[in-house]
Amino acid sequence: MQQRQQQQQEQHHFHVLAVDDSVIDRKLLEKLLKVSSYQVTCVDSGDKALEYLGLLNNLDPHSTASSFSSTSSSCSQPPQQEGLKVNLIMTDFCMPGMSGYDLLKRVKGSSWKDVPVVVMSSENVPSIISMCLEGGAEEFLLKPLQLSDLDKIQTYLLKSLHHSCTNIDKTDLIDHVDEDINNNNDDNNNNNNR
Amino acid sequence: MERNPMGRQLAIMRQSLFDQGYLDEQFIQLEELQDDANPNFVEEVVTLYYRDSARLILNIEQALERKPFDFNKLDDYMHQFKGSSSSIGAKKVKAESTLFREYCKSGNGEGCTRTFQQLKKEYATLRKKLEAYFQMARQAGPMETACRPK
Repeated sequence: MQQRQQQQQEQHHFHVLAVDDSVIDRKLLEKLLKVSSYQVTCVDSGDKALEYLGLLNNLDPHSTASSFSSTSSSCSQPPQQEGLKVNLIMTDFCMPGMSGYDLLKRVKGSSWKDVPVVVMSSENVPSIISMCLEGGAEEFLLKPLQLSDLDKIQTYLLKSLHHSCTNIDKTDLIDHVDEDINNNNDDNNNNNNR
Repeated sequence: MERNPMGRQLAIMRQSLFDQGYLDEQFIQLEELQDDANPNFVEEVVTLYYRDSARLILNIEQALERKPFDFNKLDDYMHQFKGSSSSIGAKKVKAESTLFREYCKSGNGEGCTRTFQQLKKEYATLRKKLEAYFQMARQAGPMETACRPK
């Protein structure tokens, strides 16, 4: 019980991974998030984001950013279990190399798939917006971002908090289930011997 | 409230930047992010903007010296430049950026060159005005504290 309360307290400091190739926009986003009491990690590319999330398995220098179809499932131990917590990913859409959409697809095909992803862009192109939403993005925000946009973000973070709690419950449950299975086996053996 | 002349002058200077169309509401967003923990945030962002966008200006300049124009590349540079300019609320600079991109899309080289000259003028003018504004703000700051009624 104490452990769960502690975990809930930790989760109130939401951690956002912000991805943007523009140094100005990174500075702004970082400030926006910090002023709203979130923890922030900023990276300047999709590759750096994947590296941070422990998803950069394909080290082949000749592979392009989009050739991820066969490797998306080959993730080793998800970093969540090692204590790295990311409650939300905010990514710029238009970046050199890996686009925000590519990053979105990689994340959604990984062990981090339940982390909400918000895509940002300075351009209001309906086809791009729907493509990102269909690709699993929670929201598409127009840049430059404002403090009022952070209200929308809080909704997704609260959603991830609920999910994280569920995950922790399941972990506790699994430990207990193992015990139960052992007990049942003993019972069955006893029953068979009757 | 604005008893001290410096504070009032600062407010007038700030308002004129908006009235004359140099800045838009995004600049206000920056101001709203400034707090005691980061009292120079706006100036930091503007300084960072001029430092970072300098390389984009140079890239565009060099690209405009190569004939024929690579309109895709020019548009790409300007897309980045426009984004940064928009993020700090640089209204006139942003408008010129938009126009430049339209000329890129229609393959109008002369339009690009002309617009870029105008853009550089606006970019330089804004810099001077903001430098003067921040200097005034620094002077008005301590004075405002001294004049605050006890």
